[in-house]
Amino acid sequence: MKYHLITLGCQMNLSDSERVSAVLEQMGYERTENEEEATLLGMLACSVRQKPIDKVYNKIAQWNRAKNKRNLITFISGCILPADKEKFLKLFDLIFPMSELSQLPDMIRNYGVVNAASLQAPQPVMPKNEHIVDLWHIKPKYESTYEAFVPIQNGCDKFCTFCAVPYTRGREVSRPSVDILQEVQHLVSQGYKSITLLGQNVNSYGLDKHGEEINFAELLRQIGEFGKRSDEEFWVYFTSPHPQDMGRDVIEVIAEYPCLAKQIHLPMQSGDEKVLIKMNRRHSMDKYRKIVEDIRELIPQATLFTDIIVGFTAEGEAEFQNTISAMNEFHFNMAYIAMYSPRPGAASYRWEDEVSQEVKKDRFHRLSEVMKTHTRRYNEQLVGKTLRLLVNGTDRKTGFSTGLTEGKLNVRLDRKAPELKGKIVDVRITSAADFSLSGELILKEEQVEL
Amino acid sequence: MSIEVMQAIKIDESFYKVKEVRRLTDETFSLRLPKSRFAFKAGQHISLGIQGDYQSREYSIYSGENDEHLEVLVKEVKEGYFSPKLSHLKPGDLVEVNGPFGKFRIDEKKINDHKFVFIASGTGIAPFRSMVRTYPQLDYQIVHGVRYGHEAYDKEEYDAERHILCTTGDKTGQVHGRLTKYLKKTTFDKTTQFYLCGNSNMIFDALELLKNKGFDRDQVHCEVYF
Repeated sequence: MKYHLITLGCQMNLSDSERVSAVLEQMGYERTENEEEATLLGMLACSVRQKPIDKVYNKIAQWNRAKNKRNLITFISGCILPADKEKFLKLFDLIFPMSELSQLPDMIRNYGVVNAASLQAPQPVMPKNEHIVDLWHIKPKYESTYEAFVPIQNGCDKFCTFCAVPYTRGREVSRPSVDILQEVQHLVSQGYKSITLLGQNVNSYGLDKHGEEINFAELLRQIGEFGKRSDEEFWVYFTSPHPQDMGRDVIEVIAEYPCLAKQIHLPMQSGDEKVLIKMNRRHSMDKYRKIVEDIRELIPQATLFTDIIVGFTAEGEAEFQNTISAMNEFHFNMAYIAMYSPRPGAASYRWEDEVSQEVKKDRFHRLSEVMKTHTRRYNEQLVGKTLRLLVNGTDRKTGFSTGLTEGKLNVRLDRKAPELKGKIVDVRITSAADFSLSGELILKEEQVEL
Repeated sequence: MSIEVMQAIKIDESFYKVKEVRRLTDETFSLRLPKSRFAFKAGQHISLGIQGDYQSREYSIYSGENDEHLEVLVKEVKEGYFSPKLSHLKPGDLVEVNGPFGKFRIDEKKINDHKFVFIASGTGIAPFRSMVRTYPQLDYQIVHGVRYGHEAYDKEEYDAERHILCTTGDKTGQVHGRLTKYLKKTTFDKTTQFYLCGNSNMIFDALELLKNKGFDRDQVHCEVYF
């Protein structure tokens, strides 16, 4: 009895997939990467871009053809727009929100049995997200032994005009802080080194509970206190925050506790006030600037990452220049730049996509070039310095080990050291490139073979 | 029928029965729902869906926090997908309400010692009616930009001296022209809190104008309609 699971999209889906695996394996299913030998085929969909949705349609067409040859059950969950859900109902055998994952075993066992309730109840348009807490009660089957994602919040109430997430995930719901702290403590006790707190608006944590739950800064502080008591070295990250709910208190806490990683991902999306309004981002550039000033003041060593969309409706050359100015002002260590594409379900899908693809590409390249000048300059000043590095991979060309610094900068080591995978080591930076560093491993005395 | 099934077919609590579709102009109406269990802060918005449809839209709440109705103001876009469907709803039809959402709210600490200027285009007046009905002690002024005078929705509810109507298509308003014309020539108290709601072009222009008048961005709160 085998299952095959395809996970598309973001870290939240990856985290959810660990819980799907746990549920299926508890039922006796065994995971296979070969879909030919699976009798249960599932997908966690992503609706943020069109490409993964196209992949869902292609894959389910294949799977439904395969049903002519063997008995299969197919299912889909994840980020699904209401319009896609209507179509998926006809294509997949089972469709469920992640909040109902705990019921998946019953759905599989009862597959084919007509449920009177499902025929009669009015079906809500917006996903009901309040039962997402049930999902978090499921212990995940972690994919890695040294890095893990811990969901702390799900859903979005922000309604950015370019994004469909409020319609696919539903309302913001926070996970009980007790459970989060327990999971973090468990992971650290198991030797995990990199823990990422996940949420669509991670720093809106607790706001949906109206005072009955701690806020994000307090959650970080409690994790920080645990880190202080622990003998283990580990780094706690979070993604993605929304500038609207980012206060100085969060930055103060990160500055205070060593286990809270000195890396902040703060999506800006545009450097232009008017474009931000059109995007319904609900924060001004002044607000964004104030947050960055607080970071620079309180955590000068922090690296700063961002997300930017170029070519959004209403972005003319003058507005784009403001984004370039912002890039020059904030010196991001990394910007994930996307060319705007309208997403069905998002409000902006109803507007004319008025910036041509050529202009979007041109802006993408120009902004990337500006970013490179800053990342390169930052990386160059690290040459000669010793940094802590979590070894997590292998360079494809050389076979040498690679890793990420606490600030999530890529470093290629000077040797093959597979035995260090999942460990935090010292590395002396020897050279810098636009988006990566090279370094030599500094072995502690006891590790040096005499 | 088993208890489990009984529970499963219970109507979802986010569904509300339409009480009334109140016509304000040929193109604009308000949708009234029962308020009973729905708590919100004036200025917030909801997401509205129609039973059996797969789309939803966001609307600012038009009623006050203590009104007996939960009400939204809708401009019917004739070629649109959603608003014509809303306009054809009948009392008793089910709509799905999610929310409330948003932080476009009055800072209650400022009510007693600040002036509030509400700047709206078209149905962007909705959150301001909610604020005015919720906070009777508010020292406010509404600057409402519309094309024609009959689009001054529920104008009689506001103090006449607090409601500035700007009309571009006729001369029935106190100001003939865009609301920015009024903003340009008017002097505001330095600590005024400005609230802007409506289409993005109006918000861009008003924001720029207020910035040029020396107001901090922190004093200007925006809610864009899309």
